[in-house]
Amino acid sequence: MRETANQFINTGWDVTVVTIAQESWELDSGIDLTLLEQVDPRVKVVELPLSREDLETDIRLFDEERALNPAKWVTELRKRQAKTFPEASFGEWREVLEQAALDIHREHPADLLLASCVPYVNLAAAWRLWEEARVPYAVDFRDGWSIDVIDGTEAFSKDSELGRWEQKILDNAVSLWVVNDPIAEHYRARYPDFADRVRVVRNGYDADSSPGHAHKPDLAAGLTFGYLGTVNFTATHLETVLDAWRAAREREPLLANARFEVRGHIGNGAGRGATRHAEILKEAEADGVRFGGPASKAEVAEIYARWDAMVLILIGGRFVTSGKVYEYMATGLPIVSAHVVEHDASNVLRGHPLWTGAVGLDVEAMTEAFVRAAHLAIDTSDEAHAEAMAHADQYTRESLMTVAVRELVDRLAADKPERVSVEGASALPEKSIVTGGPAS
Amino acid sequence: MTDVLFIATKRPQLGIFTDSLVKFRDRGAKVYLAGTFKMASVAEDLIRAELDGVHQLPRNLNKRSSAMRRKAKKSPTGMRVWMQSQRDRWLRQQARTAHVIVALDPGAVYTVWRLAQYNTTAEAHFGLAPALRAVDRIAGGPIRPTALPPVAAVAQDVRRSISGLPAAMMRTATSRPVMRSTVGARLWRSAVTAPGMPGTVRATASRYVAEGMEEAGRISGAAIALSSAAAKIPDPELKAQLLHESAMTEVSKGISPRDLVKAVDGHLAHADDQFAKGLHESASVSLYRALSLGFHRVLHIDQLSSPLAKDAEAFVAPLRKSAAYRAVAQPRGRKTPPKSPPSDRPLRLLVTTSTNANFLQHILARYGDHPGVELRFLDLAAQKPLKRIAWAAPQMLEDRLSGGTSEYQRDVERLMRPHLDWADTVFVDWSVGPASMLTTIDPGDTRIVVRLHSYEAFTRWPHMTDFSRVDDLVFVAPHVQQLVTSLVPQLREASAPRMHVLDNAMDLEGFRRPKSADARFTLGLIGISQVAKDPRWAVDVLKRLREHDDRYRLLLVGNDMNPKTSKATADYLTLLQRELKPLEASGAVIRTGPTDDVPAALTDIGVILSSSVREGCHVGLMEGAASAAAPVVRDWPFYAGKPHSARTLYPEGWVVDSPEEAAQRILDITATEESWREACEQASEHAVGTWDWSVVQKRFDDLFLG
Repeated sequence: MRETANQFINTGWDVTVVTIAQESWELDSGIDLTLLEQVDPRVKVVELPLSREDLETDIRLFDEERALNPAKWVTELRKRQAKTFPEASFGEWREVLEQAALDIHREHPADLLLASCVPYVNLAAAWRLWEEARVPYAVDFRDGWSIDVIDGTEAFSKDSELGRWEQKILDNAVSLWVVNDPIAEHYRARYPDFADRVRVVRNGYDADSSPGHAHKPDLAAGLTFGYLGTVNFTATHLETVLDAWRAAREREPLLANARFEVRGHIGNGAGRGATRHAEILKEAEADGVRFGGPASKAEVAEIYARWDAMVLILIGGRFVTSGKVYEYMATGLPIVSAHVVEHDASNVLRGHPLWTGAVGLDVEAMTEAFVRAAHLAIDTSDEAHAEAMAHADQYTRESLMTVAVRELVDRLAADKPERVSVEGASALPEKSIVTGGPAS
Repeated sequence: MTDVLFIATKRPQLGIFTDSLVKFRDRGAKVYLAGTFKMASVAEDLIRAELDGVHQLPRNLNKRSSAMRRKAKKSPTGMRVWMQSQRDRWLRQQARTAHVIVALDPGAVYTVWRLAQYNTTAEAHFGLAPALRAVDRIAGGPIRPTALPPVAAVAQDVRRSISGLPAAMMRTATSRPVMRSTVGARLWRSAVTAPGMPGTVRATASRYVAEGMEEAGRISGAAIALSSAAAKIPDPELKAQLLHESAMTEVSKGISPRDLVKAVDGHLAHADDQFAKGLHESASVSLYRALSLGFHRVLHIDQLSSPLAKDAEAFVAPLRKSAAYRAVAQPRGRKTPPKSPPSDRPLRLLVTTSTNANFLQHILARYGDHPGVELRFLDLAAQKPLKRIAWAAPQMLEDRLSGGTSEYQRDVERLMRPHLDWADTVFVDWSVGPASMLTTIDPGDTRIVVRLHSYEAFTRWPHMTDFSRVDDLVFVAPHVQQLVTSLVPQLREASAPRMHVLDNAMDLEGFRRPKSADARFTLGLIGISQVAKDPRWAVDVLKRLREHDDRYRLLLVGNDMNPKTSKATADYLTLLQRELKPLEASGAVIRTGPTDDVPAALTDIGVILSSSVREGCHVGLMEGAASAAAPVVRDWPFYAGKPHSARTLYPEGWVVDSPEEAAQRILDITATEESWREACEQASEHAVGTWDWSVVQKRFDDLFLG
């Protein structure tokens, strides 16, 4: 979203980003304020007083019913929230989001609204502005809505309430962005009339996150493997990875004094930093495992520079790509995959010279992958590292978003005669855009 | 230094928890953990965590009442945890001073929620990360006020919110944890007196506050909240109602209300207001409440002291200031004087009571078989219509206020006139409801005799009886006459009846039986079913004696007190039983329970005690003395030091001031077999010679037959 906003600015648009208050992000898994530093100062940010009530941890704000049975209360809350808009935890944001969109448009008429999901309730604001002011909108679904990217199944039918919302939204959307081809294929197949407006916009990586140079391992100090990202996989998944790690350390002398560093957010709300995962990592300290907590954007390049190999732990399968894979590639370090074989990350990594391959979630195979990565880490020449980094060049976020924004603007322009006839919108230069979602 | 209190209901992720504690300590926090999970099994981990305090909370409710366990079964986990933990002293202490209280799992959230209401300045959070942020905030400066907001601000909220807030929310804001805290209680008490609040809102608020305080065990606080709010309410009815609730809050817990006078005054003010407007029914209701409250048994009967006994005239002074009460107490007299006893036929004597005929047996026996008397006995309680009118206090009051024009007047006339027409003399035993009822109507030429024992002096009934329609008022002892006369103004006026002191009718001859061998060292107390008997005083005497000689023991004869009578009675009984337990176990005290054969019970008793705080005439003592047990009488505190008291009723030497003096007297008397027997004989002679029915009946003959 940050890059999207910046690219619209670069294209000459006025951009207003609608998001929620910073402290509300704190309630979730946390916030990296350093990311805001990279937002073009010309982007106007509107913070709405919205927060996820289900994640509230201040017990003084609880009523007695909630205090008595927090889980049941949250279940009931989610049911209530879904009455306003069919999305648990966020549904009740609808009215405030709609009003914000209308207010912003009234003050400074918008030519395009880009709704970034999740949450999907952002779509309600896009729809309202479309209904009331015929402001064109595009949708950035990232992982898609009607597809369950983890299981690879349909998330809801076309005739469900959610299905009707998605249909209605896409019927009138200028364009739909998704992160990979499998998701795009799902949408093209589901909405054939809309197929030509579905666009794959990969997550990519920030060039400044890459260490930018080849890495020299310090064998005496021990190799360091690393994982950087939100810990969103299951505890079992993590245990499998750590079992393989332990086995590899026992088997491979190069790994005897190796470390495995995990950085990122664990849990949210009351469970923030204190989930079963955190405990598993803590228990694995004797095996050289260390959980270092979240890393700010500014630290990322420096962290990667200290590491000798990457461990790519990913959920889902062929519909999931994840932004991590691009960043990992850009480090030019060996990559151990800890995800199912049929995963979109495999498609992205294919051809990467320091990738140990997709071996699935098998402990023995993964153990071998760790061993191989250890050898790759010390045996790889500077040239090979450089080649590996170059493999990622095509995925810098800036380059991906530049193209995506240009295409969207072009699409809007192509639609213009038709829309002008309805609305009489102003000329494209000096356009205004309202986007939803996080300011990152 | 920031104190952080963690509460967990299941074992926390100890690795993470330990790591997190380092962060808390790095920020200068002291960390404490209380858990309902089994802490012993992770004791070593907890030691490694280097907490500043670890505490095992009760793990279940096994030691609590079955009612509580049943309630817990139906409650959600959070409530169960709270029920287990709420009485834990360590937890309460830590929670009072903690700056951050943290629930580590969902089950602990409710307990933290409750504790946070107790400690109103502490941060309360769910989870480690939010707790750490709270510690940072505290270190960064006072975000949350360190003191409670100004009372005016709270009052503002109260005003704004009470009418709009659901009851549940008000109950939460005034809940037990809040009220248990001194600051919370004071704050709310002040809030309900803030200016500018409509009366009904103030009343509602104060009731919530009182309810919360009562649940928190702040009984007097609850009463103060209600009476403070009442003081700011102009509407006399609402004000009186709140003051009444205030007083009853304490009364229901066996406590003499601190604002009793205000509460009584409140009702009287409203009664006067209504009376002035001619609204007799509502005036009578208020007056009835004033009398019921002022003469509540908890204040006078079920306690070891009474404000009425301390200063009788001052106690009834508020009544005399009330126009409505003065109207009730106005003597209406009788149109014709009672006729003289007939000379041509036997005297028609109607003896009446309502249920309690305990002291009538000898009288009924004598005049039932007396050639000069035609006797009828009427138990008013045996006939529903009569029972109804005999105790209908509000209707009596309304009738008095309405000048005898009420439906009640007609009912009494209809139901009692035939009895009055038949009788030459009506003897009403006990000066309670029936006496008040009967004096509602003019008795014609029938003579009315009322006997007042002692208990009635502490009730409202003498204040509702028109003694100008009573010809003779019989007391059982001079000190009772003295008290009642100072209480009831009518008895000091010209219209007052003739007053007599006649001892109770007792057959004492039958009590003279040989004593058992160890009677000399056996103290006895006959009748222990009322708080006023104060058996603990007797126990004190026994203990002192046993310090000298462990042959002394105490026999308690009669029914135990009924704890259901009142909270005050239940409280006394608890203390008594606690005291008796070891003494009974050692055989020093024997409780015989009730008996139909008191003379037989007395054969084992060598020293008869009167430990009461008040008595009319202590029948049990008199019987004991007659049986040749040496009497030792406490100078009944209700009357001690007054012109008439136990000291003037009984021979010199029987009465003592203190348990020490009692013990000494008993030691002296029982020092030898001879000295004991001598004292016993003298006592028996005096008792039989003074109080036996053979002596007393002559005085009754004089009363009835002239």
